[in-house]
Amino acid sequence: MADYLIEVSDLRKVYSGGFEAVKGVSFSVKKGEVFGILGPNGAGKTTTLEMIEGMRPITSGKATIDGIDVAKDPYAVKQRIGIQLQASSFFPNLTLLELLKLFNDLYADSSDPMELLKEVDLEDKAKSEAKQLSGGQKQRFSIATTLVNKPVAIFLDEPTTGLDPQARRNLWSLVQQIQKKGTTVILTTHYMDEAQVLCHRVAIMDEGKIIALDTPKALINQLLGRGFKPKTTVAPATLEDVFIDLTGKELRD
Amino acid sequence: MKGFRSLWTLTAVSIKMYFRNRTAVFFTLFLPLVFIAVFGLLSKSSAPIIKLDITNQSHSELASGFITALDKISTFDVTQTSEQNAANQLGKGKIDLQVIIPADFGQMNSKTHQIEPTQLTTHYNQASPGNGQTANLVLGQILAGINSGISHTPQIISLDSTGVKTNNLTEIDFLLPGILGMTIMQLGIFSVAFAFVSMKTTGMLRRIQATPTHPVNFVIAQAITRLIIGVLDVALLVGLGVVFFGFHLLGSLVLFMFFAILGTLVFLAFGFAVAGFAKDENAAAPIANIVSFPMLLLSGVFFPSTGFPTWLRAITDRLPLTYLVDALRSIANQGTPITQLGGDVLGLTIWGIVMFFVAVKVFSWE
Repeated sequence: MADYLIEVSDLRKVYSGGFEAVKGVSFSVKKGEVFGILGPNGAGKTTTLEMIEGMRPITSGKATIDGIDVAKDPYAVKQRIGIQLQASSFFPNLTLLELLKLFNDLYADSSDPMELLKEVDLEDKAKSEAKQLSGGQKQRFSIATTLVNKPVAIFLDEPTTGLDPQARRNLWSLVQQIQKKGTTVILTTHYMDEAQVLCHRVAIMDEGKIIALDTPKALINQLLGRGFKPKTTVAPATLEDVFIDLTGKELRD
Repeated sequence: MKGFRSLWTLTAVSIKMYFRNRTAVFFTLFLPLVFIAVFGLLSKSSAPIIKLDITNQSHSELASGFITALDKISTFDVTQTSEQNAANQLGKGKIDLQVIIPADFGQMNSKTHQIEPTQLTTHYNQASPGNGQTANLVLGQILAGINSGISHTPQIISLDSTGVKTNNLTEIDFLLPGILGMTIMQLGIFSVAFAFVSMKTTGMLRRIQATPTHPVNFVIAQAITRLIIGVLDVALLVGLGVVFFGFHLLGSLVLFMFFAILGTLVFLAFGFAVAGFAKDENAAAPIANIVSFPMLLLSGVFFPSTGFPTWLRAITDRLPLTYLVDALRSIANQGTPITQLGGDVLGLTIWGIVMFFVAVKVFSWE
């Protein structure tokens, strides 16, 4: 069991209005893998993530990260992980460098802000404010802030929503680069191509429950095994392939 | 120690952000100064200043005592100069009255050991005889006092002149504490409400929650920033008022600061409560206005509330801004000590505690 970094068992969330957003979710995340939580809007992905991160009270069930019970010591958990929120924005009137220094202090850590900016390819924006960044740059900066405390795992909530194809691909390679350095990545997305490219394993959620959990390849094989036939014959290329071929892979921000 | 490091950083960052936010600086630091400058200039021109040039040819103690007495009258602008120079000034209409104290003024007769009778000469500007004659009357009064003092004539009728002190106060003495109170209210309610609501809607507060630093550190950092701005406001306004517009701070500056800080705390609680009620920036503005506007009109900021009907005063006297402005004004205008301001301290404290609990009740991080 030692190779499981995150363990979640029978996690449940009932909001004060009585709405049950998460209805008993269990899964484990291996050290060093990219784990995806997929599902339509309102499936309970974000709520599940926020309970594991210690950002939202757990109604019942248990979540541990690196052996620490999240409900018992959320601050110790937050010290060890990096969290990127959905559509998070930053303090106004501060430069990226100042913001990273601030996060350094919030984690009582001492990362080199310039090094972090280099890692996400934003060193030439060090003196800019967050609001001057493009969508893709913002997300990359947001990921840089999650790396300040050299976390064991980072949580990315829909990191590529609203980005253009080039920026998405750029973010994918950033995620892969972070994973290669040994950081576990847990992300939510509703782009299946993204999950297929990035995730070692995925959990598919719907209406507050996990309805499938395996490697993307295994899930596809299971479906085909049930006798599934695509409605149209699979084209050897997609429209996105055309778009990328025509507009190039390089970033536009 | 870790908590302290993040509180310190958050405070430093919050101050930096405050000074880089042009709107906040404009409304809480620049605009009050403009208010004071405008009202200061207006009230300065309305207060008549009578200019006296004195030529003192005597070396007696009586003569210097007489000049000191004149100097103390704040409507007099007293300059000591040569007779020739004073006459020139008078001729040009630059002064209202020329006073010549003769060499034998207050001189002791070596034989009789009595003060020699003498005569004071004054010339007034005929172009504006009003000021000169007023000054003459005052001079006559002072001389009469000196005369009766020397000749030991019993004073049969004396004038109780406590009113003189308030007469010395000008419009600025009334307005400056009011404008300061208003600034402190705006600082607490508006700057906190807007800053917080925008942090809430942009998700910055959530982002802090994602770190091991408790967001209450952020709330404290914001409060400390406002307190610093509040103290800065007092220093700037009082400084400007005293140096340029003849503002009188008769009481203790420390006590004045104490009330400014207490007031800032009370209105910070208001600000956090507004931030709790408001879902977004669009909702924050009307709520903040509904809370602050009645106080702006009814708490005696720009005009005294003494003329209000009794039933209305029963309400307006209990508004937090009334307590604050009243305390600031009596410290400045009458030099009232803390022992006589218990009612204002109590009123502000109760408001502060009540609004603190309201703020805690309605506050949310999201």
